[in-house]
Amino acid sequence: MTDTTVNPQSLPAGFVLAPQLPEILRPVTIRRGFLGFLRGHPTVAIGGALLLTLVLIAIFAPYLGSVDPTALAPAKRTRAPSADFWFGTDVLGRDIYSRVLFGARVSLTVGLSVAIFASAAGLAIGMVSGFIRWADGILMRFMDGLMSIPPILLAIALMALTRGSVGNVILAITVAEIPRVSRLVRSVVLSLREQPYVDAAVACGTRTPMIILRHILPNTVAPMLVQATYICASAMITEAILSFIGAGTPPTIPSWGNIMAEGRALWQVKPYIVFFPAAFLSVTVLAVNLLGDGLRDALDPRMAKSL
Amino acid sequence: MALLEVDNLQTHFRTPGGINRAVDGVSFHVNEGETLAIVGESGCGKSVTSMSLMRLIPEPPGRIAGSIRFAGKDLLKLSDREMRAIRGNDISMIFQEPMTSLNPVLTVGRQIRETLMIHQGLDKQAAEAHAIEMLTLVGIPEPGRRVREYPHQLSGGMRQRVMIAIALACNPKLLIADEPTTALDVTIQAQILKLMLDLKRRVGAAIILITHDLGVVAEIAERVMVMYAGRKVEEAPVAELFRSPRHPYTQGLLGAVPRLGSSLTGTARRLAEIPGQVPDLRKPIVGCVFAGRCALATDLCRQYAPGLEEKGPRHIAACHYSAKGAVAA
Amino acid sequence: MLSYILRRIAATLPVMAIVALFVFSLLYIAPGDPAVVIAGDQASPEDVERIRQSLGLDRPFLVQFGSWVWRILHGDLGTSIFTNLPVSAMIGQRLGPTLSLMIVTLLLTIVVAVPLGVVAAWKAGSLIDRVIMGFAVFGFSLPVFVVGYMLAYIFALELEWLPVQGYTPLSSGFWPWLENLILPAIALGCVYIALVARITRASMLEVLQQDYIRTAKAKGLGQGGILFIHALKNAAVPIVTVIGIGIALLIGGAVVTESVFAIPGLGRLTIDAILRRDYPVIQGIVLLFSFVYVLVNLMIDVIYTLVDPRIRY
Repeated sequence: MTDTTVNPQSLPAGFVLAPQLPEILRPVTIRRGFLGFLRGHPTVAIGGALLLTLVLIAIFAPYLGSVDPTALAPAKRTRAPSADFWFGTDVLGRDIYSRVLFGARVSLTVGLSVAIFASAAGLAIGMVSGFIRWADGILMRFMDGLMSIPPILLAIALMALTRGSVGNVILAITVAEIPRVSRLVRSVVLSLREQPYVDAAVACGTRTPMIILRHILPNTVAPMLVQATYICASAMITEAILSFIGAGTPPTIPSWGNIMAEGRALWQVKPYIVFFPAAFLSVTVLAVNLLGDGLRDALDPRMAKSL
Repeated sequence: MALLEVDNLQTHFRTPGGINRAVDGVSFHVNEGETLAIVGESGCGKSVTSMSLMRLIPEPPGRIAGSIRFAGKDLLKLSDREMRAIRGNDISMIFQEPMTSLNPVLTVGRQIRETLMIHQGLDKQAAEAHAIEMLTLVGIPEPGRRVREYPHQLSGGMRQRVMIAIALACNPKLLIADEPTTALDVTIQAQILKLMLDLKRRVGAAIILITHDLGVVAEIAERVMVMYAGRKVEEAPVAELFRSPRHPYTQGLLGAVPRLGSSLTGTARRLAEIPGQVPDLRKPIVGCVFAGRCALATDLCRQYAPGLEEKGPRHIAACHYSAKGAVAA
Repeated sequence: MLSYILRRIAATLPVMAIVALFVFSLLYIAPGDPAVVIAGDQASPEDVERIRQSLGLDRPFLVQFGSWVWRILHGDLGTSIFTNLPVSAMIGQRLGPTLSLMIVTLLLTIVVAVPLGVVAAWKAGSLIDRVIMGFAVFGFSLPVFVVGYMLAYIFALELEWLPVQGYTPLSSGFWPWLENLILPAIALGCVYIALVARITRASMLEVLQQDYIRTAKAKGLGQGGILFIHALKNAAVPIVTVIGIGIALLIGGAVVTESVFAIPGLGRLTIDAILRRDYPVIQGIVLLFSFVYVLVNLMIDVIYTLVDPRIRY
């Protein structure tokens, strides 16, 4: 469009005015601020809200109408969902609703811890191999080796060695996730080292630790954050799988994988035992993945292609 | 009679930052066998104009409005299928980047054959023979071997020759060349330009040459149209334009060309630059688009957008003042 | 070409060596005496001693490793502590179902995921794109056993279209074999399909912005020719890479799927071995799967040279 504010009649004689042109597209609303960001990235909003709800459920599990999730009641075995037992009871008469709520604690703890530990370890290894040439060869060969063992299998093998405990589950999944994070950090570091401003910093005599702190770390934050959410999601699935096949969280602790493992034998006749933990697990993982996708699109449109 | 008649072409894009009015109300025509140059700095909408003619603008986020009449048909009213029958056949295009404009995983021969098989219904053997003929025509040695090679095995100049071979394979009536020589070495540039001129004479196609290189314009164009910020600001026959540019932007553009040998003849002057910046096309512009950078601009210019006025023989420009000689301060 | 393949094989040897070293030293990474770890909590001191003897755990680490590798290279993966059968024989018995499941899943994935990704990229931003990508996020988020139970409940228990569980070897006929694999393959393929569809879309989006696609359009090519001839071949390298990397997902998922659908394959063997702490079997399985994974990715390197003439060997 050219000009809309003035009246063509007021143009002095002898001057030619450009013709008026129509608008051919609907106007664009430009979004600003935090709420604008959420509207522009609905997946972040939905994923974040779902995840927040689940975190609150995990924290306040004892106060949400639940009973002791480990209390046995042989007389009330395998009851179907009802007003008394919202999600029914399992083969030992335990209240599935309470077990599912408490199970959220295990899943979220494992997911978050693995995301944090794997990111920290991967960051350290990736930095070292991105900056120290001789270490790079050794570390990356080792990571290649680890990466050629399918992660779930690696976690299973590690769990087979130790007693089942939440700590060991976290450790096993973390080890299985580290190679991928290290690779990511290393590739980011290597590409950043090629950047002219890093060259400039080196040329100015800036010491390596300062370069890492000023230039490298801040630029790895965005890809790491996205990667961490994906690790969190995959760690929760792996935990459930490990528990499901009997190599994860000990059966005494209610975790979603354990509840499903216990309901496995009866799933054709009592599908609800498997259904509720499965639904919660799926929704939680979905929430984290939505958050990850949204963050990826929001933080760096270019990265959206590479991931 | 005009082969192509473009009337009030508007090409806008929806972007997160607002509507980008990349081309806004451009009208021009091209006669049969004529060469029209469209010049302007990068981002002035010249490439978008050429893509709009071929309807290669993705819709959405873009939208093309106005009318593009080619040989009596309004291209904007054709179905996708009818438009495909015109692309590469009646109108074809050569792009700026020979390095990236050819498909890296298909052989050169296959990429030439394709057009012939789609538009002329040739079978594979006939198309292959014609492809080799085309490669000979554009001056590629050993065409029989080259058809079986991949683009990465050819040099930049060679690839642009292949692009020309593809573009001319179906004897188009109109050839749109979007900065065909910009990405090439200077020595190769001259060869490619000469090739284009030769082939134009042989085939009799009209050419729209998009460029920011005024040297190229002087060499091969008959008529020039100057674009700025998505609008046409001036149009004239080539000699007329170089002799007496009327729009202050064109004057600045011509002043910004370094003249070869001028330092030897003692006529050296500083390379003129145009102060200021191109306006943000995502915001509505009131008044003349060039007012922000124009030394002659008055309040009148900042309020009223100038229309195209007759400034000389076949010479039009969109400026309130330049034709009136004296500039009221 | 042959020398290229040989060089690639040579390059995977160090990787396999590291895998072997890692798998072997798993027992030593674990806290405590490996013999006690293997024997389990209820073992008597005699049991522990017997295991120590039979595995040669009393010899130095490197000697043990050396003789272990030597035996593996001769096809001897050791003897199961639990069944006293050779590990290679146990694996051999279980290989058929797992291979069948993985091949059917792989084919299903390629047939479904690649066209979905191509369509999503072509219609990027449209409703159909959002629906496809929405399904992909779901596929990503639904754990394999959840999908497995859901499918089995709907299509086997309620609709009775397909068998609930079990496995029939191919030798008993094609349909009986396939019939049993359809639901497991869909369950197992879910994550994989999501992954491949996403990378196909991303890779295609990148390619569709390239100049040569514009050239193809300017030539008057139809949508099909542009997508499947000009674009897909260029987008193939990342897609093929992810198909290779995704084999790891298949292997991990197979362990669970086989348990849900009662398929007597390597996955079931893995679970049994873990529950019994049958270490030679676990080592053998991890080693085998890693070998397969490395081999698949080696094949993919070779495929690269077929799809992209710029990659020289």
